[in-house]
Amino acid sequence: MSRAPVFLRESQNADGGWGYKRGGMSFVEPTAAVMLALFRSKESDAQVQHARRFLTSLQHADGGWGVAAVDEESGWMTAWAMWALATAENEATARGQSWLLESVGIRVTDPKQVQGIQKVLKIDPRVTGWAWQPGDAAWVFPTALTLLALDALGVRDHPRAQEGIQYLLDRAIPSGGWNIGNPFMVSGTLPPTVECTALALMALHAFRVENASTGRARDYIAREDFTQTAFEWVWRALCWQKTGAPTKRAFDALARLESADGSFDGNVFTTALAVMAGLGQ
Amino acid sequence: MRISRRALLRLTLAGGIVAGGAVIFKQTEDVGFDKWLRWMARGQAARFAMGSRVALAGVPSYEADIRAAIRAIWRDAQGPDLRGARVVVKPNLVDFVAGRPCYTMPQVTGALIDFLRDEAGVRSVVAAEGVTFRRDPHAILIDTGYRDLLQQKDVEFVDLNYDDLVKIPLRGGYAKMDSLFMARTVVEADALISVPKLKTHHWTRISASLKNLFGIVPGAKYGFPKNTLHFHGIDAFVAELWDSLPTPNRFALVDGIVGSQGDGPLLGTPVASGVLIGGSDFLAVDATAARVMGFEPANIEILAFMAWAGLGQIDTHKIQLSGTPLDALRRDYEPAPQV
Repeated sequence: MSRAPVFLRESQNADGGWGYKRGGMSFVEPTAAVMLALFRSKESDAQVQHARRFLTSLQHADGGWGVAAVDEESGWMTAWAMWALATAENEATARGQSWLLESVGIRVTDPKQVQGIQKVLKIDPRVTGWAWQPGDAAWVFPTALTLLALDALGVRDHPRAQEGIQYLLDRAIPSGGWNIGNPFMVSGTLPPTVECTALALMALHAFRVENASTGRARDYIAREDFTQTAFEWVWRALCWQKTGAPTKRAFDALARLESADGSFDGNVFTTALAVMAGLGQ
Repeated sequence: MRISRRALLRLTLAGGIVAGGAVIFKQTEDVGFDKWLRWMARGQAARFAMGSRVALAGVPSYEADIRAAIRAIWRDAQGPDLRGARVVVKPNLVDFVAGRPCYTMPQVTGALIDFLRDEAGVRSVVAAEGVTFRRDPHAILIDTGYRDLLQQKDVEFVDLNYDDLVKIPLRGGYAKMDSLFMARTVVEADALISVPKLKTHHWTRISASLKNLFGIVPGAKYGFPKNTLHFHGIDAFVAELWDSLPTPNRFALVDGIVGSQGDGPLLGTPVASGVLIGGSDFLAVDATAARVMGFEPANIEILAFMAWAGLGQIDTHKIQLSGTPLDALRRDYEPAPQV
C-alpha cells in the first residue's frame, strides 16, 4: 500500500499550506493539489480545513491569487485555488471566478503580425487562452488548468471557456500531444511533454471534446518510449483516471518509483498528483 | 533692433543645445531621462576603467583533461577567491532534444565541481537550474547524464523553479520592473558560476553566460518558458539580472567544446569549437564567445546595450585575453534565424 497520503499529511506547514518540498515555503499550487488529493480522506478533515483557511487568506482584493503569500500579484495559480475551493460556493469563489473569466492572454489582431506569427510558429495568435501572468501570452498549462477550474465551478458555456478549448486545439502538435504551447519552432516541430498533454486531455475531456487531436494525444501518452520519471507517470495516472482509462500500468510504475517516505522525488506536488489520481486510496 | 554676430552665434548655440536636449528628452521618455543619463555616464566612465580578463583554453574533446583547462582559466582570468564559499553552479539544462547540443555537457560541470572542491577550497557546492520548457527537470537530468553525475559526486540538485522565493529590488530600471522574485539558494549563495553552452539563439543571436541567467528566475512565478520576462525585453531583462544579482562573486565558464549553430536555443547543429572560455565579467566573456563564433559583439544588441550602459566590456582593447589565441579557435557559426 502506498504511503503517499501519509507523506502528504506529514508535510503540512504550520501556516496550513504545503511547499513543493517538505519544509519549504507554502505555495498555492501544492496546497491546492494536496487539498484535492486528501479531500476524500476523513482523517485529513482538520488538515484540509486548515489548508482551506490558509488558501482563502491569500486571496487578493481583485479576486485572484498570487503563487505564495509573498506574491502580491494575481496570476495562474488562481486556477488551482479555484479548483480546490470550487465546492465552497461563497463570495470568495465568486470573486475568484470573475478574476479567471476576466483574465485574458495576449490576443494578436494586427493582420501583418498575425501573418508573421502564422508563418514562423504556425499558430493562430487571434485565438487566446490564459497566461501565467497578467499581460503575458497564453500557454497550454494555465489554459488547460483554468478550464478544469471552470468545469469544477460549473462554468461550461462561457465564451472564454469555449475560446480556451479552441486555443488548445490550435496549439496541438500535429503528430500528437501538447507542449508548453509552441508546436513549431523555426526549423522543425517541437516535441510534446507529458504534463501538458495530460492536462490538455483532461480539460478537453471535461468539456466533452473528442476529435483527431485528442486521439493522437491519447496515443502519445500511452507510449512507453519516454524517460521513466515519477513526474511523467503521475500525470499519466491522473489523465487516465480523469478520462476513464485504466490506471494500473501507471500505478505499477509508480510503485517502483515511490521513496521509502511515501514521496515521489521528495516532491509534495508530484506526490499530491499521484494521490489525486487515486494512489493509496 | 540689431543683433551682433556674436549674440547671434550664442543664440544659435543655445537654441541648438535646447533642441538637442528636447530630442534626447523625447527619445528617452520611455525609460526616463535621469536613468538614461545615468546609464550613459556609467558607460562613458567604463571607457576609462580597468579592462577585464578573459581566458580561453583549447579543449579538443570531452574526454580531454577538462579540469586542467579550468585550472588554467581560473588562474589566467583571476577567478575569485572561493575559500569557504557556498557556491551555486548553474549549467544550461534548457531541455534535452536528441542529437541537438543544446545543454552544457556534464563532463564540464563535473570537472568544475572537482576543481571547486579539491582546489578552490569551497565550503559547499550545489548544481542548480530552473528549466524552461518543462515543469519538471528529472527527465532532463536523466537524459543529459546529470543525474548520474550528481549522484556520483554527491552533489545536491536545486530546482530553482520551486525554491523559496525572495523578492529582490531591481536597481537598473532597464526592464521597467521595481523588483523580482528570485530563488533563495541563489540569493544566499556566496558565489554563482554560470556554465552555459556556446550557442546561437533566435532572439538574442548568441546564448552564453548572460542568457544562462534566465534559468535562475523561478518558473513557479514567471511560468514556463518564463515568457513574462521576455515581454519586458530580453536585453533589458538580462541587463537587469546582471546588475541586480545579489550574489557577490560571479564567474562564467562557457562550454564551447562542442557548440551549437543555427536554430538555437534548442534545434541547433553541432560545431566542434574545442574551447572553454572563462572570466568574471560576463559581458567580456560573452563578447569573446561571440568572436569565437565569428560574430562582431557590437552588432549583437544585448551586448552593445550592456556595454553602452557600462555593465562590462566588449571592446577588444578593454579585454585582456590569455590562454589559447582566439584566432586559432575562431569558427564561422551559422547564425540563428531571427524570429
